[in-house]
Amino acid sequence: MSQATHKDCLLVAEGIRKSFRIGDREIEILHGANLELRRSERLCLMGASGAGKSTFLHVLGLLEPPTEGRILLNGKSTWDLPMRERAALRNRHIGFVFQAYHLLPDLTALENIILPARIAGAYGTLPFVKREAEQEAAEILERFGLKDRLKHKPNQLSGGERQRVSIARALFLKPEIVIADEPTGNLDTGTGERVLELLFHEQQSRGASLLLVTHDERLAERCDRVLMMEDGQIQADSSVVIPH
Amino acid sequence: MFVGYISWCYLLRRRINSIGVMGITVGVGALIMILSIMTGFLEESRDTVRGSLADVIIEPADIPTFDGKRLPKSADPLIAAVLKEDGVLAASPRLSWGGLLIQPGGGGFDSIRHLKNAQGNQFVFAHIVGVDVQSEYTTTNLREWLTNESDARVAVENVDDPFARPEGYAGDEPWAWIVVGEQLAEYRGLHQGSVINLITVVPDPRNGEARENNRKFLVAGTFRSKDNEVDLSRIYVDRWELSDFLSDTHEYTQVLLKLDDYEKRRDTVDATLTASLKEQGLIVSDRVRSYEVRTWEDFRGSLLGAIENERVLMGIMLALIVLVAAFTVFAILMMMVTEKRRDIGILTALGATPTSIRSIFFMIGMWNALLGCLFGAIIGVLGALNIDGIERWLSATFEVQIFNRDVYMFSHIPAVVTPLTVISIVSGALLATAIFSFFPAWRASRLHPIDALRAE
Repeated sequence: MSQATHKDCLLVAEGIRKSFRIGDREIEILHGANLELRRSERLCLMGASGAGKSTFLHVLGLLEPPTEGRILLNGKSTWDLPMRERAALRNRHIGFVFQAYHLLPDLTALENIILPARIAGAYGTLPFVKREAEQEAAEILERFGLKDRLKHKPNQLSGGERQRVSIARALFLKPEIVIADEPTGNLDTGTGERVLELLFHEQQSRGASLLLVTHDERLAERCDRVLMMEDGQIQADSSVVIPH
Repeated sequence: MFVGYISWCYLLRRRINSIGVMGITVGVGALIMILSIMTGFLEESRDTVRGSLADVIIEPADIPTFDGKRLPKSADPLIAAVLKEDGVLAASPRLSWGGLLIQPGGGGFDSIRHLKNAQGNQFVFAHIVGVDVQSEYTTTNLREWLTNESDARVAVENVDDPFARPEGYAGDEPWAWIVVGEQLAEYRGLHQGSVINLITVVPDPRNGEARENNRKFLVAGTFRSKDNEVDLSRIYVDRWELSDFLSDTHEYTQVLLKLDDYEKRRDTVDATLTASLKEQGLIVSDRVRSYEVRTWEDFRGSLLGAIENERVLMGIMLALIVLVAAFTVFAILMMMVTEKRRDIGILTALGATPTSIRSIFFMIGMWNALLGCLFGAIIGVLGALNIDGIERWLSATFEVQIFNRDVYMFSHIPAVVTPLTVISIVSGALLATAIFSFFPAWRASRLHPIDALRAE
């Protein structure tokens, strides 16, 4: 991977190795995985269960340190940064959409959505004005068809509604990267389709890059590129540019 | 800001936190209330004891002696000397003696020689105190005691001259008038004009042997000191009458002093006065810290020490409630950390650092403590200030006597709320909760975000 290529890329993973110690044994999950995510690109990561997709995603999302290798965000190495700066980067530049939604159960839909803004306010990377944030979040929820659900807590929402709130939260700070780990995995086909439409539309309109992990080939077909992951490595010949 | 927000949300939306808040409220409230009441008791007791003794009591050990080394018989040289001392505002002489009080008609028992005829309830050991009234008023609380209102009071006719014959008194007995403690009067059925016999023993100047003196007195009225012991045994009489009763062997036994600033001089006054008076030949002590010059605290130190000890022990025992409450917060937080594992993962994914996760859980503990201390301080202070009314209401409602006012002779339950007490208790509760909150908070911050996200 050349430096010239890196300049065009938003997120670059170079030779990522990740191993875990279980008892006396050291088990390596990622064996030198590489990846480039370009600006505004929709990149799909596929692979069998246990191939290391989720672990790779966590390393890329700055949640888990690699045992070896580098993660570059906008050309800057991330894991060398102090923890606070790395957390601020994650807050400001990366949005997560999880299969299990992962909303805070004690907060309402509106409160969940503006939570990244509160954290950004604490870092001082973005000023937090509650009224403005709530207004913006309410507009997003209205656009997502959840106008009547602002004050509802996650347990009062359906699966599709929760995932829409989760997407709204991931996109609230207009991050450059959205990492979605099987976002429709817990939803029925119809609901999953609608949620995905929403995710793609918002990603496109905001110009964010989307890194999507899925088992669904039909979903993969709607992405710009598909990378196959096998045995902890990205297969060299798996990058496919899908014409729209 | 976000740490405060999340911790506040968790506090309000997890009802189990109310147990922690209530625990600290009860602990802090009880501690403030009990310590305030104990402080009130201590201060009231100090006032009572101090009022009966004056700031400093000089009790020359050698008047009179029969070995030739006699101090002046009169109190005047000693009083003149102490009034020249720095910080002495007033001085009064006292003639303090012991005796037996007998009501006439008690089965012929009116002399020690007839003691074999006496029954135990026919006589009372009396502490006979001869005073110069106006002078005594400048050093002790006697004037206040003579005017204390109570149901059992037998008022003296003229407070400025309590030993004067009451104007309306019809009798023509030549005996001197005395003032007795209110409880003594009540138990022995004494009223204005009651006749009592006082028997005492004095040294015979001729041979130094004990000699019995016996004289009748009339009761002019009562005093109320709030000190059971004093009210049951003390009898006030004019100093010269008593001196006469003692066959003129003594004019005084003590000189009482009033200082300008007792708290400032309490630690040095006895040594200073002892040195000065010894030099002038007015006392004969050969010790640096003399027993001839004592503060009122030296006299009744053990009583006050016992009350202070009770206060401290009570404080220690009640502090355990606060510790238990803080431990409850610890248990609640440990449970919340387990329950909120996934939330910790989510917050980390959204950009929270381990430090902010630690702060969130620490803050939950501190919110518990702050609210508990706030409510506890309000309840404790209001409870202490209104304890008398609360006790009366409880007694009336449940028809049980919770506080027996006769035991201490207090007309009310005394309570003194000091800012220092409240601040100390609140600070202690906050500190204990902070210590107990630290470990759960630290444990929360050590959770791996991915493990936390996978938590079900």
